[in-house]
Amino acid sequence: MKISRVSAVPHSRARRKALQWFAAGCGCAVCGSLHARFLDFDLSAVEIASKTWAVLGSNEYFTMENGGNIVNVAFIEVPDGVVVIDSGPSKRFGDALRLLIEKTLPGKPILRVYNTHHHPDHFLGNQSFDASIIAAPQKVIDNIALEGNGFADNMYRLLGDWMRGTLPVAPTLALDANTEDVGGRKFSLFYLSGHTSSDLVIRDDETGVLFCGDLAFLYRAPTTPHADIATWRQTLVTLGNIDKSLLLPGHGPSDSKEQAISQTADYIDWLHGGISDAVSQGLTMNEAMLLPIPARFEGLGVVRTEYERSVVHLYPALEDELFPLIELRR
Amino acid sequence: MKTRHELITDSEFTGRRSLTSVITRVSGRGARLLTAGLIMLLYSTSLLARELPQDPLDSIMWQSMADRFMPDGQVVFDERVKVMAPLSAENQFHVPVTVDASQLDDVKKIVVVADLNPIPLVMTMRPEKALSYIGFRLKLQQTSPIHVGVLTGDGVWRVGYAIVDAAGGGCSAPAAAHGTSNWMKTLGQTRALASRVDAGNARMTLRMKHPMDTGLAPGIPAFYLNELLVRNGAGDTVAEIDLYEPVSENPTLTLRPRVGSEAETLIVSTRDTEGNEFDFPLTIPASTDL
Repeated sequence: MKISRVSAVPHSRARRKALQWFAAGCGCAVCGSLHARFLDFDLSAVEIASKTWAVLGSNEYFTMENGGNIVNVAFIEVPDGVVVIDSGPSKRFGDALRLLIEKTLPGKPILRVYNTHHHPDHFLGNQSFDASIIAAPQKVIDNIALEGNGFADNMYRLLGDWMRGTLPVAPTLALDANTEDVGGRKFSLFYLSGHTSSDLVIRDDETGVLFCGDLAFLYRAPTTPHADIATWRQTLVTLGNIDKSLLLPGHGPSDSKEQAISQTADYIDWLHGGISDAVSQGLTMNEAMLLPIPARFEGLGVVRTEYERSVVHLYPALEDELFPLIELRR
Repeated sequence: MKTRHELITDSEFTGRRSLTSVITRVSGRGARLLTAGLIMLLYSTSLLARELPQDPLDSIMWQSMADRFMPDGQVVFDERVKVMAPLSAENQFHVPVTVDASQLDDVKKIVVVADLNPIPLVMTMRPEKALSYIGFRLKLQQTSPIHVGVLTGDGVWRVGYAIVDAAGGGCSAPAAAHGTSNWMKTLGQTRALASRVDAGNARMTLRMKHPMDTGLAPGIPAFYLNELLVRNGAGDTVAEIDLYEPVSENPTLTLRPRVGSEAETLIVSTRDTEGNEFDFPLTIPASTDL
């Protein structure tokens, strides 16, 4: 009797699940299994340097197909535990990342999670980690407090059920030191800006790997919703001058040849120049969105989409800068 | 005289029948006459009702938009009414739209509506000495079809359309101006660009500081720029535009005036719902200066 009661539980669960698929118009077995796969991140870790793993996202924009797995996160084994860089776009992703870390480094405690900046794909996985170990510059914390809810709303709109249960969680540790020892490993911290008003860059001083967040992109078009192009340009020079063995961009493969920095600089220079020209010609945003993109950027993931977004981001400030002020007749 | 029962069975439509029966029951003969008149009116309006073409976007508001904002005259969808808008709004407070109906002749009026906005009417424009063209930005409260009706001299509404995916709240959040302490000081401040395209055509973009409050943000009454008139040196109207609540904060408008080959100074006159007037001249260089 006891045995049958125990086995009845998963049975009825399975039936309820099947009924749910049915209710959703997905009664067939094919759809059911497709859905099951759909909402599972299949994360894998690539060892990009000694004891340093990157989880590389696709070079796309958020879609229901990729579930928001479009961003690079990383984790490092330090003597006493694990350091995590960025937490991904959702609770679901954060949970999957935790599992992956546990699978890769069984029994190792997570000692620190850094958030490089306040964009949703980089911090909405924070919920899966102990808030007391999540650290970022104060300005990143402020930006998350200010915009986190709005970002989360929009991510639910774009990604639906992939986001289930996700809430924005701000880091609790405000960083201001230039170096930090975590679990017996020294990290250098660089407080930069340009992609947003606060971008944290982290260097593992043991391996020389530089974690750039979204200050650098590789083979994926840079994004500009909070960018200050002139500052970003300066920051890329600074990044170039930092000693490093390898660079992990926020989006795209790891880079040992400084390609990410030069490609990002080339792209944002063109973007700023091209959009300035369009504004000066009096083109509307819609007309500017149709302008050709140089062949050398054709290989960048989602370049047309990002270019169109950038037109909307950069136009208003450039109009204020480039249109002459008119004296009103009263 | 028909009995109440006969009157009811005469009526073909359930809705009308119940209306009839209620009124008849309430006040006897006078009401019966009134009801008969009402029925005739309903029949006559339904006979006169236009055959509306199927909306390619299947907007549930299409019938209502056409009835309210494109009244009278035939309605047709026409590819020559080009509506440029992004598939997805990067910013629901500033969705760029460019309407180009310059391939149509004898355009009397252009009407822009965002079907699912709480206030759907965005603007109307009457181009006189200007191409049937306008660029602007609008606020979207949610994902919405945008329909643009262009009334031509033959009395036909020629319609173009776009649909824009958007995050919510574009019309009901306070304008960014309300986050600053001194927005009144810069109210009406204008930046503008005017350039010549060729011997007969110019392009002008103006950008004016104005909160364009919809009245839908809590505690902030409607306050927006609602009239814009462009005249040329001879005093002729170049274009006349009525703006409504959904036009974005700090309205940024692009027009394409028709001009002579000589240098020409256009006069722009604007007015908001509080009666503030902002006027300024804008000079198009001579074509020989190109």
